[in-house]
Amino acid sequence: MSGEKDGSEKKIKAGQGSAGSGDLYPLALLMDELKHDDIANRVEAMKKLDTIALALGPQRTRDELVPFLTEVSQDDEDEVFAVLAEQLGKFVPFIGGSKFATLLLPALEILASTEETLVRDRAVESLNNIAQELSEEQLFHDFIPLIEHLATAEWFSSKVSSCGLFKSVLARAKDDKFRKELLALYLQLVQDDTPMVRRAAAKNLPTLIDLLTQNPDLSTAEDWDYISNMFQKIVADGQDSVKFLAVEILISILKFFNKKKDTTHSRDLLHSSIQLISDEAWRVRYMAADRFDALAEEFSSNPKFMEELVGPFLSLCEDNESDVRKAAAKQIPRFSELLGDSQVIVKSMLPTIQNLSMDESEAVRASLASEVTNLAPLLPKKEAVDSLIPILLNMLKDEFPEVRLNIIAKLKVVNDVVGIDPLSESLLPAITELAKDVNWRVRMAIIDYIPLLAEQLGVEFFDKQLGDLCLSWLWDTVYSIRMAAVANLKKLTETFGSDWSRDEIIARLLKSDSQLLENFVYRITLLMALTDLVPVVSPKVVTEKILPFIDHLATDGVANIRFNVAKSYAVVVKSLSKDPTKFSDLINNSIIPNLKKLSQDSDVDVRYYAEQSIEECKSYLA
Amino acid sequence: MEVDSDVPMRDAVDEPLDPTLDEDARAFPAVSEGETSGIADHKSNKPLELTKGSIGQLDKWIEHLGKCQILSEEDVSSLCKMAVDVLQFEENVQPVSVPVTICGDVHGQFHDLIELFKIGGPCPDTNYLFMGDYVDRGYYSVETVSYLVAMKVRYPKRITILRGNHESRQITQVYGFYDECLRKYGSANVWKMFTDLFDYFPITALVDNKIFCLHGGLSPMIETVDQVRELNRIQEVPHEGPMCDLLWSDPDDRGGWGISPRGAGFTFGQDISEQFNHTNDLSLIARAHQLVMEGYAWSHQQSVVTIFSAPNYCYRCGNQAAIMEVDENHNRQFLQYEPSMRPGEPTVSRKTPDYFL
Repeated sequence: MSGEKDGSEKKIKAGQGSAGSGDLYPLALLMDELKHDDIANRVEAMKKLDTIALALGPQRTRDELVPFLTEVSQDDEDEVFAVLAEQLGKFVPFIGGSKFATLLLPALEILASTEETLVRDRAVESLNNIAQELSEEQLFHDFIPLIEHLATAEWFSSKVSSCGLFKSVLARAKDDKFRKELLALYLQLVQDDTPMVRRAAAKNLPTLIDLLTQNPDLSTAEDWDYISNMFQKIVADGQDSVKFLAVEILISILKFFNKKKDTTHSRDLLHSSIQLISDEAWRVRYMAADRFDALAEEFSSNPKFMEELVGPFLSLCEDNESDVRKAAAKQIPRFSELLGDSQVIVKSMLPTIQNLSMDESEAVRASLASEVTNLAPLLPKKEAVDSLIPILLNMLKDEFPEVRLNIIAKLKVVNDVVGIDPLSESLLPAITELAKDVNWRVRMAIIDYIPLLAEQLGVEFFDKQLGDLCLSWLWDTVYSIRMAAVANLKKLTETFGSDWSRDEIIARLLKSDSQLLENFVYRITLLMALTDLVPVVSPKVVTEKILPFIDHLATDGVANIRFNVAKSYAVVVKSLSKDPTKFSDLINNSIIPNLKKLSQDSDVDVRYYAEQSIEECKSYLA
Repeated sequence: MEVDSDVPMRDAVDEPLDPTLDEDARAFPAVSEGETSGIADHKSNKPLELTKGSIGQLDKWIEHLGKCQILSEEDVSSLCKMAVDVLQFEENVQPVSVPVTICGDVHGQFHDLIELFKIGGPCPDTNYLFMGDYVDRGYYSVETVSYLVAMKVRYPKRITILRGNHESRQITQVYGFYDECLRKYGSANVWKMFTDLFDYFPITALVDNKIFCLHGGLSPMIETVDQVRELNRIQEVPHEGPMCDLLWSDPDDRGGWGISPRGAGFTFGQDISEQFNHTNDLSLIARAHQLVMEGYAWSHQQSVVTIFSAPNYCYRCGNQAAIMEVDENHNRQFLQYEPSMRPGEPTVSRKTPDYFL
């Protein structure tokens, strides 16, 4: 402790203060840690800053800790700064409430100017948190000057940070002149020399506009001249990475005017939209395609405008860049819904879908597949059957598994409109192909869809077409597939009932190829499959069909089978004990003795699981 | 520290058995002598018997480790002490019965180990035999070796873990495990515990008297399996001699014994393998130790199989991994697999690097 007193610049009197120095001993330790040579220690200590502040009390936190931290914020490593920047945002309660909150600003201003993005971002977040608690006077007296200071600083990092702070003050500046000054300052940032600053300004602009939308009566025509000016500057920016942010800004502007029910600028804004959609930079077009639903929604009250958007949208679907097509392909059903005119959909969208469904990029086709079925309810039934279904059928034969999976995953909506019949013929080969895919995760995905399909297709179709497939998955070489197959059989039984399961599943499982069952992998799978069915079939099926099979495996040569038999018995007893009078004989005279035998097994794990199961059975019978 | 020099950059198709040759046994760093971790200070004189309490503890650790989270230093210490009392009673040639699934190098690729269990089935439902090299190179050596050791203590009859050449004080100081322990625990204590424990790992296994399993290969000083039984294995892997060879040797296309470019162990030809299998009435030698692009590779006309279970080794080799299932009738099936999927990875076909944004 003594080393701390002499020589150290960072003067903290903890641990040597007047009253209660004994109580403050741990605190002094923390203080020491804050000056530790090892950065990991300083980071850890920084994380406990709230404890220190609490122990010091508001007065000393203000007088000693905050000045100390302000010094730290100028001379340490980024890792420490990052924690400090975050901590300071939660510090208002520790310094005696909001009336002292401005004391925290100097340190955060310094942190908001560092080069490390993480530190800056956290400092900005903390500054915005503190701004919530500031009074109007503090805001004008301290916070806005801080923003101005950062925004006009020499170095780009400060300016970037300033862009994130305007949102805390803009809507609170009720004075028109003041707000105008803020916007003028922001316009400067939008036109800054460094792209990083312009990017930050463009990125934060939608939030600012949304604030004006939330307070529709706040802004003046003059304010909007500024915003319009900013938008024009961003659209004309030489950097794609700035320009593509204009899409989001445009959406926010449209929202404002729609909220104000002001249509005077609609034509211009539509023009701007179409310009962005057909921009020469692919990333701008990508952004327009990706956000097309939000953009189109803002024009949806005017059918004329919507019609004018169709052409540009179709050009996005035919873009040279596959990423643009991929983003646009996803938007087709939503845009079609907004168009609301089934004739336009048939005339314009269906040919485009046809093309996209044969796109050279598998990512585009998969993206189309993920949404395209939603088009079915928007079409007249005849068109759906004649035009959409053939496209879907082709996609079910796509060479890329994800395309097929995406179609199958969303078949429900097609089924609701036209029924499953038109699809079933192609559906089966698609499922069979996926079921054989070399990638086991593709096989897994199709198994996961089976219960859903079964529900939609009905028992008859299922038995005829999918039953064999579902059983064959049990013999997959990959364990996870076998277990998914087991879970699938259980879900199917829940859907189709106990009798169905007895005839279509259990009877067939019990007739499994004996040569196959020479491999313990398949015996254990069969055991698990039947055990899993116990809770969802009738007790009669359990006692007559499943239990004899389990008994038969109780003397298996492989210990792994025997201890799974022990586990299975507990599942059986749990199920049968719901009707104790009827099955107590069976449980007490057959199952429990079998378990007792297993608890004397030569293998330690068999003994363990048998004991476990006996305990478990007792609890069910008690 | 040259860590990556073993990543084979030669065309793997031309040379299916591409050895990881850089591990230069001649350049072992000095081991700090003296202090031990103390995990073997109070060895029991009979094999560990699990109590209800210890089973509960182990199950908790296994669950925790399964999420790729490390145990506390104290827990590692208790785990290693228990493991000593399991492993010290295993034999140099540990008998293993069929069915069993045989696996090769894992090298700290924890997520791929979890993928392995998804393919082969979880322990204890499936029996496993791992042939060493759990640590070094991958980012999660601590989690990997803790997990396997915890499994071993919990289910000693269901899983066998052999020693690889990387389960050594000297090698782990160069290839990552030591640094990882230091980084994750702030001291070398955990490294000391595990490396002290490695001395107790069995060095070979014999599956149903027919498949001889070990990390590296044969030794000119060992003609019979019985000779392995006579070795004193409880020690650091020596620089030479039979125990060293078993963990370091490689099969080779050339006949007879050859000098290994690794600087430890030997290369051995088909004549040697066939003679050894004949003398000991074996059907196969299964070993790991070398990267093979398909995950497994036969040599010496199916006298020897190499199994490698770290897919995309060192996160860059692009190899498949494999495990070998041997059923109770001695039928063998190889299961190959790719690196595990990390959920949440972007699927953008052409991602713009962030530094442009």
